[in-house]
Amino acid sequence: METAMERRRVETVSSPDSVEDELELSAVRHRPEGLEQLEAQTRFSRKELQILYRGFKTECPSGIVNEDTFKDIYSQFFPQGDASTYAHFLFNAFDTDHNGSVSFEDFVMGLSILLRGTVQEKLNWAFNLYDINKDGYITKEEMLDIMKAIYDMMGKCTYPVLKEETPRQHVEVFFQKMDKNKDGVVTIDEFIDCCQNDENIMRSMHLFENVL
Amino acid sequence: MAAGVAAWLPFARAAAIGWMPVASTPMPIPPQDKRKTKEGLIILNVSGTKFQTWRTTLERYPDTLLGSTERDFFFHEETNEYFFDRDPDIFRHILNFYRTGKLHYPRQECISAYDEELAFFGIIPEIIGDCCYEEYKDRRRENADRLQDDEDMDMKNDAAPVNLTFREYLWRAFENPHTSTLALVFYYVTGFFIAISVMANVVETVPCGTLPNRSKELSCGDRYALAFFCLDTACVMIFTVEYLLRLIAAPSRYKFMKSVMSVIDVVAIMPYYIGLVMTDNDQVSGAFVTLRVFRVFRIFKFSRHSAGLRILGYTLKSCASELGFLLFSLTMAIIIFATVMFYAEKGSTATKFTSIPAAFWYTIVTMTTLGYGDMVPKTIVGKVFGSICSLSGVLVIALPVPVIVSNFGRIYHQSQRAEKRRAQRKTRLARIRATKIRSTNAYMRYKQNGLLFDSLEEASKESGQALVRKALSPPFESQHHHLLHCLEKITNHEFVDEQTFQANCIEISVTNKSGSRASSLSSSPHGLSSCCSRRHRKKSSFSLPSTNNQELSTIQIRERPVTNSRSSLNAKLDETVPLKCDKPYITPSMVSLSAPVVTSSDGDGSTTTSAYFQSNIVRVSAL
Repeated sequence: METAMERRRVETVSSPDSVEDELELSAVRHRPEGLEQLEAQTRFSRKELQILYRGFKTECPSGIVNEDTFKDIYSQFFPQGDASTYAHFLFNAFDTDHNGSVSFEDFVMGLSILLRGTVQEKLNWAFNLYDINKDGYITKEEMLDIMKAIYDMMGKCTYPVLKEETPRQHVEVFFQKMDKNKDGVVTIDEFIDCCQNDENIMRSMHLFENVL
Repeated sequence: MAAGVAAWLPFARAAAIGWMPVASTPMPIPPQDKRKTKEGLIILNVSGTKFQTWRTTLERYPDTLLGSTERDFFFHEETNEYFFDRDPDIFRHILNFYRTGKLHYPRQECISAYDEELAFFGIIPEIIGDCCYEEYKDRRRENADRLQDDEDMDMKNDAAPVNLTFREYLWRAFENPHTSTLALVFYYVTGFFIAISVMANVVETVPCGTLPNRSKELSCGDRYALAFFCLDTACVMIFTVEYLLRLIAAPSRYKFMKSVMSVIDVVAIMPYYIGLVMTDNDQVSGAFVTLRVFRVFRIFKFSRHSAGLRILGYTLKSCASELGFLLFSLTMAIIIFATVMFYAEKGSTATKFTSIPAAFWYTIVTMTTLGYGDMVPKTIVGKVFGSICSLSGVLVIALPVPVIVSNFGRIYHQSQRAEKRRAQRKTRLARIRATKIRSTNAYMRYKQNGLLFDSLEEASKESGQALVRKALSPPFESQHHHLLHCLEKITNHEFVDEQTFQANCIEISVTNKSGSRASSLSSSPHGLSSCCSRRHRKKSSFSLPSTNNQELSTIQIRERPVTNSRSSLNAKLDETVPLKCDKPYITPSMVSLSAPVVTSSDGDGSTTTSAYFQSNIVRVSAL
């Protein structure tokens, strides 16, 4: 993964003496690695990579997704609610090198874990998503943020009517289940252990395997 | 749902794994989809139109899509060609760029479509050849203006919240008189008083007949001095009040005081106040009389009332350079000809051309083809140069004038287009809303069909299959709905549409207030919350639907105004009330029953089938 990051080329094309600022000359373009390298680094077949790339390229012709575009795209799937907060967390989870944009490699690496990874890797990824400041612990505040973001996607028109304390209650339930030593934070081992013992969660991990 | 975003659906579904650890109930089963998916010369198949070119041609520009390994992602093995799902007409120009090295912009294409294609194929627009570059830039600027206008309209309309402070409200009333009737009244009153004031100034100077003991004829202003004074006072008071109100309401007082309109306002009312102060002093009263001429500025106040005047003013401002050129060339010509005429007429006796500045008057009158005839050349040389002067005058004036006129026309048309866009804005917004509602309704229908599918699976296979065939939706849609269904399960809340939500809110408030209704109703909030708690139980095998008395009767109240057949079916439900239920979703499906029939009047064609489904649902659950 590290070598892929190093070898990535980001081309900023701009004309040397452009005076007019109406025309934005910089198209920050990004070309992905070749098909062979991506095939070796992910668990997707050649055909699948082709399909993924075509979709990616249609929506983001410049080859990278910045956070606003990402939020736009994700919001289109949830027209009734506000998916921008959750999309923000997702963006941070996909943008593994934290450079503010998701390239095709980031995208495909993330998907490779989510769709073709082992259960351990998937749970790792989920833990990474919940751990907002990436310090190795999920605190109640972080979980509350995530929970609120998920509930925001439902929007206003729900049945029954969403109350203020529903996310908080849900967080309490979650912590009761996950926080074994009751120290107020959930570590990665507690998380993985607990999820592996819960058959609902285990079953749901395999839910989207045939997505592609 | 945009088809382009459909390509990201696998991503959205994969990202749903992030919700899974938070879930406490099992997830619904995803829909199964059976889907299959494809130096020399290179064949480029763009949406069916085949283009062929040499491999080396494409590789001339290695930093574009076609010239690099990026095109491998689009290789289609079965047909051994590269397939692009893009517009073949625009692709033609792009391929020509590789062939000739020059990129052209086709005039009949839409600028945004063209830009998108360029962005897709990785070509920067700056390399458009000189032949087409001007056109491209102009179109792009127009497009940007349009987008900017839209944004401005958005911001202006968004800034119309319910709770404005009094000051903001006042300012808005002044700027857009159409917002409230009071503002409109004020607008017309000020307009009327401006007109009265200007007319009074004009009529004041008309000679009005003589007084018996005077020989000189008096003007109306002197004869009816008191009346005119009262009228003037009234007008000035109105103007002063208006100015002060605007000053108070202005968001930035300094900027307001610097603006042209406010300067005009001040200049229009100052003479009166100065007059009040200085009436006793005789020497200064002479100057005061001349100060009255500034009262004519009141006529400029009309520009707040007339958009055309504002456009004219704006045009003059924007044509400043052309006007400056006109003035400069005229001045040059006047000086030249005046000098020539002076020296030509110097010899003749009793000539009016006493000095060069005196000759200026002649030159101006001649160049503008007025020809008063108070100064005419008498010598032959003078007449010759005089005719040259009049001929050149026509030319010099006629040249910059069309530029000014065309500027005026352009600005006027722009404002017309802005008006049209504002008018069409409402329909545009309505269209966007309709799309959103349609997608929500699609999901509601999916839920019914999905539930129908589940329940019929256990109930009876034969009738189920007949109905399920009708319920097939495109695989993308069904996957999207499955995703939304997972979200509902995670949060233990359901999506409902706007009307049902409103009805729910009303009912909760109604049942909370009224105690005179049936006892079942008064305990319905409790019923609703108990239904919530029931959701945490696992979904077991199919069992008959029902919950408490309360929920069904609340539903009954809502559905009563609708058709007879359904109310009779509801009556049947009432009888089956005391049955137990472990499946928490049938009741909400009752709730959403009312929704599709009421709202899907946009003729999707499936209204009949959904009605059919509803009756079937009720029948099955009444078993």
